Amino acid sequence: MSKINVADLISDRPVLANFFDYEAYLRGDLELGLLENRRGDRIVAIPETLIKALYQGLSKETGQAARLVMINCGKWWGKSFYNRFQQSLQEFYGIPLSEMDMLTFVRSLKEYWITHGWGKLEFDPEYRDRGLIIIRTYNSPYSRPLPGEPRPSCFLETGILSAFFSRLAGRELMAVQTTCESLGADCNRFILGIPERLKPVEDWVLSGMTHDAIVQKLVL
Amino acid sequence: MRVADLLQKSEDRFLNAEEIGVLRDFVAGMPLRLQIYKKLRDRELPILQAVADQVERDLPSAAVEDVKKAISSLMLVLRYCAMALLMNSDEAFLKQRILRWLEQVSTAYNLRRINEVIFRHLNQLLSQEFTPPELELLQPLVTTAQVTLIY
Repeated sequence: MSKINVADLISDRPVLANFFDYEAYLRGDLELGLLENRRGDRIVAIPETLIKALYQGLSKETGQAARLVMINCGKWWGKSFYNRFQQSLQEFYGIPLSEMDMLTFVRSLKEYWITHGWGKLEFDPEYRDRGLIIIRTYNSPYSRPLPGEPRPSCFLETGILSAFFSRLAGRELMAVQTTCESLGADCNRFILGIPERLKPVEDWVLSGMTHDAIVQKLVL
Repeated sequence: MRVADLLQKSEDRFLNAEEIGVLRDFVAGMPLRLQIYKKLRDRELPILQAVADQVERDLPSAAVEDVKKAISSLMLVLRYCAMALLMNSDEAFLKQRILRWLEQVSTAYNLRRINEVIFRHLNQLLSQEFTPPELELLQPLVTTAQVTLIY
């Protein structure tokens, strides 16, 4: 008697692939002038020039505060992003995010990133049991230097990741960017953890400390 | 060339003779592709069950949960292969639509050894179930999946 009954395997729950599959995810009601995702949520394609303009305009109007404004925008965005993300997956797979296996969650997050044109995302759980998560993104549209500020500049992403993972973890988490494509790095690296612990990281980054050195210092 | 690309290319003109030829080949090949599609659909359960049974015999120590994951992945592979056949799509379609997604399961749960056995038995079964002309169309797709999920 076989331990695996394939008919049961299917009837328990349909075997589903990737919700954020580009071909299936994006659609449009062009008569109404709308681009939508497969749930019917509106999608807006923003041109790269808008992101450039946002960085330049905010920097001109608010100077040093531009960075914080964008991080805050990212946080608002991240909260809604989390809600939509978890609703989408819950509807699609028929299980709440809290019961979803880690792999489906991470794969979906990566695919979400790619399909929305935000570049490639990698989730590195190596230091998870030490209370840190490392995220790497490649080809980010948000990596643009602010005039006169030689620091990592994916502010919107920093905000999105902070809010998204805070929601997911059910406690406040903070994201700090340690390397940036706009500064010539191979990718953008973010460290996620509790704010008290990550507070000094920003100064370490500004003082020129490398990502690896920062991580080592944090996990010591 | 994909038919969809072909039609897009001709948005402001008529298709030329060579392009009409591509379209004609696509239509001419449709009955065979449809036949393979139906066979895959109708024989899905017996094929998958036979593969699952073989894996249990060959790898008695493999965790049942892992085998279930690998068999579920195989189910998606076969369904996407069937879709690719209908659309006359190539291996790139499979890679983008499904293999990138499944590859991560294989890596994360270390299913390579199970997948190796799975594809060995699958290929044997397919060569019994399908005729040589059918296999000629189906096999390259299955092999792409096999290569991605084993290495």
